[in-house]
Amino acid sequence: MTMPTIKISDFSLRKGSFQLSDISCDIYPQELFAILGKTGAGKTLLLESVAGYYAGLYGCIYLNGKSVLDIPLTERRIGFVYQDYGLFPHMTVEQNISYGLKMRRKNRSEIANEVSRMAELLSIEHILKQHPGTLSGGERQRTALARALVLSPDVLLLDEPFSALDPVTKKSLRNELLEIHNNFQCTIILVTHDFSEAQELAGRIGIMSNGRLKAVRHSDALFEPYEDENINQFLGLSK
Amino acid sequence: MKKREPVNAFDIAAIIIVLAVAVFIAYALLSIVLGGLPFLPAAIASKEVRFAVGLSVYTASISTLLCVLLSVPSAYALTRTSMPLKKTIQIIMELPLSLPYLVLGLCLLIVFSSDLGKALRDMGFKVVFDKNGIILAQLIVNLPFAVKFMRTAMSEVDERLEFIAGTLGASRWTRFRTVLLPLCRQSVIAMVVLVWSRALGEFGATLMLVGVTRMKTETLPASIYLNISTGDNGMAMASAILIMIISAAAHTITTILNKKNRPLTRMRDTTT
Repeated sequence: MTMPTIKISDFSLRKGSFQLSDISCDIYPQELFAILGKTGAGKTLLLESVAGYYAGLYGCIYLNGKSVLDIPLTERRIGFVYQDYGLFPHMTVEQNISYGLKMRRKNRSEIANEVSRMAELLSIEHILKQHPGTLSGGERQRTALARALVLSPDVLLLDEPFSALDPVTKKSLRNELLEIHNNFQCTIILVTHDFSEAQELAGRIGIMSNGRLKAVRHSDALFEPYEDENINQFLGLSK
Repeated sequence: MKKREPVNAFDIAAIIIVLAVAVFIAYALLSIVLGGLPFLPAAIASKEVRFAVGLSVYTASISTLLCVLLSVPSAYALTRTSMPLKKTIQIIMELPLSLPYLVLGLCLLIVFSSDLGKALRDMGFKVVFDKNGIILAQLIVNLPFAVKFMRTAMSEVDERLEFIAGTLGASRWTRFRTVLLPLCRQSVIAMVVLVWSRALGEFGATLMLVGVTRMKTETLPASIYLNISTGDNGMAMASAILIMIISAAAHTITTILNKKNRPLTRMRDTTT
């Protein structure tokens, strides 16, 4: 049986008055898994926990069989793209993308090649010398993806990456994400509150509500009725 | 174009208050400038005043350097590490902010008059009645201010930016050097300028620790005090003008540096 890339095992976490409770879920190699839920359901908190930003109250999250907290942050091979992208505002797009390569001590020509390859892939060659403050939402999103992907991470964690974009850009970036998933063969967790986005992109979808992972379904079966009335209400399945 | 609301009674009251305060400050400063201006050439030519300017600039520069070297790591420890008793240590570090400078000077006097102080003096490090004492007095007055200033600046930088840098392979030191510090750059510059000009004007703690001796521990504020004590009000006001010129220059530099666009240091809150 295939070992899950990410194994969330009875994970609970308290942050202020909010709590993630008893979350268990396996995510397999090269899977594109979506976490769907209303605002405030705990999606981002769970995603950050997968990255090891928070230590849980109970339970554990494993990356390739090892507790994420036991792996040094610099060696987790995780790419994280936040909702507002988290670009380094004092660096140009080029410096943002090359940051990880410099940390990996790649030489100058390797860095230049990798940056131009990613810039070409994501169509951002024309903004390499600009700072994030001057970019549109779509350009920032592409830059953040390029910065994360340039290191070929094992796991790509995307926190509502399309939420701030206009419909046209959103559509084109969704297609790009599917291409990236095919090309890079990484495991992706995508957090979203958009049903169609989750269904279009993911193979399986986890539905969160009030800090709990209420259900995990194949995307084809997303709109089949659930035992939990809250989920039916959220998905508009209540009569 | 944004249309302003018509001025109301509350606005008028606020404007009157700010004008009254500004007029009072301008009057107070002008009275010194006008009174001291005729004595300024003599003051600049005076050996004592030149010594005071030199000693003030020297001690303020050294104490500012020490302040930066101590406050930046302290602020980092208070904002970015999970050290034990963090809140207590923060209160201890910032407590001197609410104490009179004379009390701080007295604390230093007691410490450096004790066996520790004597041991240090035997090793060649004199503090009491020495210019090292001026530097220490300026440091103890400014350090809590600098720590609070830098702690606030670092708290405003979103920690998730450093987390992202970590996922890209940056060590803690590299994250500090390449992300946190550049994003606090303007605050560091502002802190340096403010601390330096505060050090230049420090008197209370210095008076307690090193006293006021002509051409020995005579900083610019000490020079004002000595001249007033001997009834030489003109020279006192001329020394005050020199402090005002240096402080105004420092304030102008801070304003110019802060005018530049601040980079975005916070991400939108996406806690849940």
